[in-house]
Amino acid sequence: MSHLRPGRVSLDPRFAPPFPEAALIMLRNPQLRKNVGHAIDVIQAKRGKLVVEKTDWQALRSAASAIRFHVLDNLSAYLEQFETRCIAAGGHVHWAADAAEARQIILDLLRQENATEVIKIKTMTSAEIQLNSFLQAAGVSVYETDLAEIILQLGDEDPSHIVVPALHINRSQVREIFARTMNLKNLTDDPKELTNAARTYLRQKFLTVPTAISGANFLVAETGTVAVVESEGNGRMCLTLPQTMISLVGIEKVLPRFQDLEVMLQLLARSATGERINPYTSLWSGVTPGDGPQNFHVVLLDNGRSSILAKTKERQTLKCIRCAACMNTCPVYRQTGGHAYGSVYPGPIGAILTPQLMQMKHAQSLPYASSLCGACYEVCPVKINIPEVLLELRSQVVNQERKQAGRFFDLMYLGLRIANLIFATAWGFHAAQRIGRIGLRFFTRKDGWIHALPSLGAKWTQTRDLRGLPKQTFHQWWAERVKVKK
Amino acid sequence: MKQPVTSRQQILDSIRAATPTAAKDASQLAEAYADLPRAYVGHGSLSAQARVELMIQRLREYDAEVVECTPAKLADTITAQLAASGRHLFVAPPGTPNEWMVTSAWKITGLEWTIDHGLPIDEHEIERAEGVVTSATCGIADSGTIVLHHTATEGRRKLTLLPDYYLCILRASQIVETLPEYFSRCQPPPALATYISGPSATADIEMTRIKGVHGPRILVVIVVRDN
Repeated sequence: MSHLRPGRVSLDPRFAPPFPEAALIMLRNPQLRKNVGHAIDVIQAKRGKLVVEKTDWQALRSAASAIRFHVLDNLSAYLEQFETRCIAAGGHVHWAADAAEARQIILDLLRQENATEVIKIKTMTSAEIQLNSFLQAAGVSVYETDLAEIILQLGDEDPSHIVVPALHINRSQVREIFARTMNLKNLTDDPKELTNAARTYLRQKFLTVPTAISGANFLVAETGTVAVVESEGNGRMCLTLPQTMISLVGIEKVLPRFQDLEVMLQLLARSATGERINPYTSLWSGVTPGDGPQNFHVVLLDNGRSSILAKTKERQTLKCIRCAACMNTCPVYRQTGGHAYGSVYPGPIGAILTPQLMQMKHAQSLPYASSLCGACYEVCPVKINIPEVLLELRSQVVNQERKQAGRFFDLMYLGLRIANLIFATAWGFHAAQRIGRIGLRFFTRKDGWIHALPSLGAKWTQTRDLRGLPKQTFHQWWAERVKVKK
Repeated sequence: MKQPVTSRQQILDSIRAATPTAAKDASQLAEAYADLPRAYVGHGSLSAQARVELMIQRLREYDAEVVECTPAKLADTITAQLAASGRHLFVAPPGTPNEWMVTSAWKITGLEWTIDHGLPIDEHEIERAEGVVTSATCGIADSGTIVLHHTATEGRRKLTLLPDYYLCILRASQIVETLPEYFSRCQPPPALATYISGPSATADIEMTRIKGVHGPRILVVIVVRDN
């Protein structure tokens, strides 16, 4: 990842810059902000209409939240049940403790098939384990088949959203990428024409490549069913034409029974794309003779999930069904887009998921990439209290920092300790107010605002103005008011 | 195949250690499951007539073409639709009623039917075909969804995917109002299922909805008024 273009940041949390630094790069890119803003406006308007129309929306959210919590409480039982049913239906189940093991299992399966090419359905889990670059390095050509993923792959771009990963790229940029890589000189920027170009580009791949990789939206323990939800039909192509299918799935994706899909499917599309339901949903268990892949493998991926499960407040992170409603509604994401989060999981869910999946030291700044406004919690179809988890993670960051050597003399910690002493008494607090009013008067402009402060104070005024202190405090005003009344 | 037993054990062990409140046995698990809140709408409240109307409205919102007919007129209606499509090479699943194919082949010059018997050789015929005709298992009015369980009259999964034109026969008596109503009919659950809600679509470029990326670009539904 050392060959990054200017204006681009790594999506590997180990190499990505801290959020404020990366966000600044994105904020200085007006084209990116315009593209992201437009896409978010369209999705939000559609979602809003369809959620209002659903009179039982809150009941669905409650049911979904309860189902997901119940699964997490009983995860080992449901995973084992899924494994048993999937094997009984002719599938194979593999368990991967971490990303490296998952990559190796998949490569070994591809080697058994002598596969030199593989077609892929969009899957966040494979992005999480950086599967594509690993397979390419091992000599396997990887072809993404989702339109947005093709745009990213051909344009050597990074995903910036978990549902519409190319939303930061506009039509003329797509035209440029396709014209260059597909050698189509006369291509226009009409989305219909661009979509057709992708259809033609992929058709031969679908019909000839015998091996496919997918993720899964849900696993069903009761039946060993795997569910893939999509719009374009590239998923159905990958699921039905190849001889071998490998599905890489996080261990938390399981649902107890087939019927539970009735809750999830009603919530997912409305939350994700603002549709009543997505155009195509595919469900299959194991192998069906004469229909679809005859070799079917599920790779169950832990990669840090079981350690999240062990923590009381953080556990709810694993309820996530990857709908992206939280990033669509987030005022921070709207301004920065996804790349600033330095992870394949951006937005509010990324801000809590990334630090937990990776070691915290690689994503220290993410729990602070939020104004804690709570909009993400309000829209979340499975009721993940993201602000609560953000606060929990922030306290962990602080505790960790406090233990670091030299922290005792750090200006901020020193200042906070002194403030703690001063504000502990009423007279100390009042004295500080008086001194502050005198000191700040020097910096307060005629409009009543402080536009620039020196030294540490500049950290605040660099990005926003500060209201000057009023002539009197509330206490003083109150005391005078009582006097006048008398 | 040799399973990486150690990782399986390691993952399950750490999950068990993380979930001390997990149900002790299957009956306790079933009890906890039965207690989950389900206050959402199960059965719909529309009349049979309104239910069918809603299904048709939703399908039209997805730009699908919808035609209605009586059971007696079905073969003729299929023929009329195939003629209007301007296409001549069609595939159908093995359970397709002979009458549909005979009527249309007799009335439309140059019309050819291929039955998909599930053989590898049939695959080229499916890709070559200009259209496909099948029945369905269920229609869900609330979301305008066509449900296929891939029975003998619905065909294997790729049959309704590769051709550019898809004519689907849905009986009014198969239409339910809500998704939960459909799921309550899934006893036992199917091994294979595909839910189709409108023609394939994408909005990946500037959120502009484009019909027909990989699946059929044209979806025509004949609603048979059998109730």
